[in-house]
Amino acid sequence: MAKGLTQQALSDSAEVSRKSINAIENGIYVPSTVLALKIAETLECSVEDIFKLPE
Amino acid sequence: MRPKELLMLLKSLRAMTYFRRFLILFICGITQIFFAVYLLLELFGFNLGFHLTNHGYMFIPGILIFASSGLLTVSYYFGDTKTNNSLYDEYTAMRYYKLGAVGYALNGIGIFLLFSFQDWSNWSLQSANAMIYQIASFAWLIFGILLVWFSLGDYKEYKNG
Repeated sequence: MAKGLTQQALSDSAEVSRKSINAIENGIYVPSTVLALKIAETLECSVEDIFKLPE
Repeated sequence: MRPKELLMLLKSLRAMTYFRRFLILFICGITQIFFAVYLLLELFGFNLGFHLTNHGYMFIPGILIFASSGLLTVSYYFGDTKTNNSLYDEYTAMRYYKLGAVGYALNGIGIFLLFSFQDWSNWSLQSANAMIYQIASFAWLIFGILLVWFSLGDYKEYKNG
């Protein structure tokens, strides 16, 4: 996990379940815009840095 | 019961966890499966070796569902925000919708099959009545299985979390 955060820490900060973060990391689940923004804010980067359209 | 004790009880009821939700949904699901299977086997003439003589028992799954829905609603609106962020997040909602969609699809197939193997040449009010019960208990069974399925996800999360 970037920034040395655990899934639990990131999920606490983004106000979702650890399962959500796990599912997003594994590409099982595409987050909503709000959640993507919250994750980006926690990781101090832009949404485009962590989420990309499939090529 | 004193007002303070009542307040404590209400506070404990609204505090939902993965394990509590697992227990609630699992008990509801298993009860629903039991009654649905019982009804289906009875309707199809299998000899179970026992018979529920008191029809009031059939209210048990319904009462459980009402009580559980109440508890979940109270926990959703009045529970701890931090816990609820995790318990009722968008991924959980997606799991719920997906399972609901599976349920509707299976019920659709089931109803089609139940319609197909009716004896339409000897159709009677009794057969129609039996078919309605078959459809209802089949739908009951499917949603019971899905409740258990959903609850197992909560149990996994409780174990891993």
